Amino acid sequence: MTAPVLQVRDLQVRFGTKRGVANVVNGISYDLHAGETLAIVGESGSGKSVSVLALMGLLPQPPAAVAGSVLYHGDELLGLSPKEWRGIRGRGTAMIFQDPMTSLNPVRTVGYQLTEPMALHLGLKGDDARQRAIELLDLVGIPSPEARIDDYPHQLSGGMRQRVMIAMGLACDPDVLIADEATTALDVTTQAQITELVDELQERVGMAVIWITHDLGVVASIADRVHVMYGGRFMEQAGVDALYATPRHPYTEGLLGSLPMPGADRPERLVTIPGLPPDPVAMPAGCPFAPRCGYSDGDRCVGTVPAMESVGAGHDSACHYPLGVVNG
Amino acid sequence: MSGFLVRRILQMLLALLGVSIVVFALMHLVPGDPVRVALGTRFDQDLYDALRERVGLDKPLIQQYFSWLGSAITGDLGVSFRNGQPVTTLIMERLPATITLALAALFIALVVALPAGIISAVRSGTGLDYTVSAASQVGISMPDFWAGVMYILLFSLTLGWLPSSGFAPFGDGIVEWARHLILPALTIGLISGSIITRFVRSAVLEALNQDYVLTARAKGLSEWQVVRRHVLPNAWIPIVTVVGLQLGFLLGGVVVTEVIFAWPGLGRLALTAVKDRDFTVLQGAVLYIAFMFLAINLIVDIIYARLDPRVRVS
Amino acid sequence: MSDHLDDRLAAKPVSRTRETLQTLMANKLAVAGLIALTILVFVGIFGETIAPYGINEIDIPNRLTGPSGTHWFGTDDLGRDVFSRVIVAARVSLQVGFIAVGFALVVGVPIGLVAGYYRGGIDSFLMRMMDVLFSFPAILLAIAILAVLGPGVGNAMIAIGLVYTPIFARITRGSVLVVSEEVYVRAARSIGAGNRRIIARHILPNVMAPIIVQTTLSLAFAILSEAALSFLGLGVQPPNPAWGRMLAEGRNFFQQAPWMGIFPGLAILVTVMAFNFVGDGLRDALDPKQKSVIESRGQSV
Repeated sequence: MTAPVLQVRDLQVRFGTKRGVANVVNGISYDLHAGETLAIVGESGSGKSVSVLALMGLLPQPPAAVAGSVLYHGDELLGLSPKEWRGIRGRGTAMIFQDPMTSLNPVRTVGYQLTEPMALHLGLKGDDARQRAIELLDLVGIPSPEARIDDYPHQLSGGMRQRVMIAMGLACDPDVLIADEATTALDVTTQAQITELVDELQERVGMAVIWITHDLGVVASIADRVHVMYGGRFMEQAGVDALYATPRHPYTEGLLGSLPMPGADRPERLVTIPGLPPDPVAMPAGCPFAPRCGYSDGDRCVGTVPAMESVGAGHDSACHYPLGVVNG
Repeated sequence: MSGFLVRRILQMLLALLGVSIVVFALMHLVPGDPVRVALGTRFDQDLYDALRERVGLDKPLIQQYFSWLGSAITGDLGVSFRNGQPVTTLIMERLPATITLALAALFIALVVALPAGIISAVRSGTGLDYTVSAASQVGISMPDFWAGVMYILLFSLTLGWLPSSGFAPFGDGIVEWARHLILPALTIGLISGSIITRFVRSAVLEALNQDYVLTARAKGLSEWQVVRRHVLPNAWIPIVTVVGLQLGFLLGGVVVTEVIFAWPGLGRLALTAVKDRDFTVLQGAVLYIAFMFLAINLIVDIIYARLDPRVRVS
Repeated sequence: MSDHLDDRLAAKPVSRTRETLQTLMANKLAVAGLIALTILVFVGIFGETIAPYGINEIDIPNRLTGPSGTHWFGTDDLGRDVFSRVIVAARVSLQVGFIAVGFALVVGVPIGLVAGYYRGGIDSFLMRMMDVLFSFPAILLAIAILAVLGPGVGNAMIAIGLVYTPIFARITRGSVLVVSEEVYVRAARSIGAGNRRIIARHILPNVMAPIIVQTTLSLAFAILSEAALSFLGLGVQPPNPAWGRMLAEGRNFFQQAPWMGIFPGLAILVTVMAFNFVGDGLRDALDPKQKSVIESRGQSV
């Protein structure tokens, strides 16, 4: 296997707040290979979005403090100067955001916003940049791109705008594309179109994709591996099929239980997980999920953070009592 | 765009019509007989009747209004009760001083407000931001008549650098012109600047908090590039509005500042007319100032539409 | 029966009061402003008692003496104690401010409520009228009104009140337009609550925040306007002291006795700043999204 594009090791993000230090990301690690799609799934407040903003160097420090290690093609990103970061952003790693209605600048044309990173990173200007922008718009499935390129964002529909955002992300052929809840604000049909588009583009361009979502249903069709995140930690990580078929963490089980799935071996009634996600200013000492977990022993679970351990081939779970595994 | 323009012009004309009614009504509510006041001690019944007839006061009010409005449209605002001069001439005489002061004050205001507001927003929460905010707070609360008097005390009476009053036309040489202009322009400009600073700060801050700013940063733009290419083009839209309003006020004549510096502008013309009960002059001046104010508003709206594609392209 | 439902649908802004106060108290400038205002109101009420000298106690031998232990702010051209006059003048400034803004509130808010709630023709008519008033620079309109009514402190209140009326009408209307679309208002309408009831119970409580903020900020500018009018000789008439008037009188003796103008001016500055600080604090606490119209209305002059 080739070297990973991105190696994240023990990534931690804290924020100084009025109430105290908020531990938002508490040591997550993963590798991302070229052509791979990795999904990070979690509820809002699980730290998933913050963790990828840290990869982009987009967290203002202070109030944020980022620790750990992020290797991009073997080079450490954390600790880069602002100028060095700017060379990576948009060039090596690009990002698409949740709400296409607000993520595009309303007073700049599509073409302006699309060609901006090209001039910055590729030195592409004028007609060359415009030509490439038209090709990109075509690539992301926007009809009559020659006309649309001079439109303002408000003249496009939500789905179209998200396509423009994707085109913008692809503008400089990044190795890594991060989609942060990129379909959440869209209607269901458009959601499917956008996920398919990213999937298809990935095969053509060969980039790696990190897909951030709260919706396990969205990633089922496109992800290779899934990391389930809760309270700033990974609870479980596995190939997408294994995770859906045999979840080894009570939290994953809970998430899947709240998901309608035709034909799957699930209880018919949708279950919700009782309680609320943990307060990042007052993280539980043990497993972050213990206070809401039906399997908690009230002792080890609340006292010790479970380590991520292998529970099968390419399948890890951070639980003292992983489901379906008989040991201590 | 053209539909928008037509609508705005119609709105302005409607407002202007309302303004003319208010002005006319106000002036005819003035207690006392203006003609009698104008004649003063030289009262003579024949002269009185003749004068009344000449200014049309013997006709019904409605008729008076329409004949006044009709003349006003052609630029004839009647004659002064005091000295018989055409009101339009009196206004035109005051215009150079008023426009000079307004533009100079606006220039000072913008030179102060744009950098201060932008930096204060970009560095919000820092000591610099607090300093700018505190200074603008003082500026907004500052009575202009007090500021003006303080400047005179310091720069004219104590240091003797600048004249304490009067207007020197440009023809008298640029140095004299500027020396007379500095203090009144500073008095009103710094106050306007404080108001604009607060607007610039909040407009830039609001734009900085938009999602598209994160998008721009994610492209790898530098912070300054983000501000210049993405934040400011959005922030200009509200800023233009407040700058236009300020210009409207300044062009209407800053009464108090003009009084302090004996500046021969429109504001003082109106004030003198009040004291002299010269109601044709007051009527004309007020109508003219309101017209100018509305015209500036219209121009602001047009610029606004140019800046905002959501208004421009519909 | 519908009454109960109606009550439950009513939003309860009261529960936010404590939170608002806490936010306000955390704002140091607002607290400073509140303290200054408390002192001002106290001085306004007990001015004559606190003042060491009578406001019209003439003492020609000691005219134009500088600040000293006996005359903290010095004496004016007639030997009157400037400190006493500044203290006593606080009352008239506050009075004009409160009454003028009260006038603007009483006239402007109902206009805004009616325009925003009923919309249509009445809205266009009322708001065009407000636009007309808004087309005059503030001080000019006040001067023109005073030309009609004649100079004097009571007329100054009416003039300033009229000048600030359109601001309240506009702010109220804008908020009403937003609130009318809220679910609880539509729900109240759907269960047949009358218009008056909806306005009084559902709309008014929910548009109070911007109105309160605007009131505080308008007080600052109304006091500034009064000072300007008195400076021009159109407001408070002699021999009663008013800050703006004292400044105007002080101008003639400025070289010999700058204290005659400096202290009344400082009093105006501090008072206006105090209201502005409190207004800003209230806005942050109550209504952070609101853009205050008073600022776009420009300075008082």
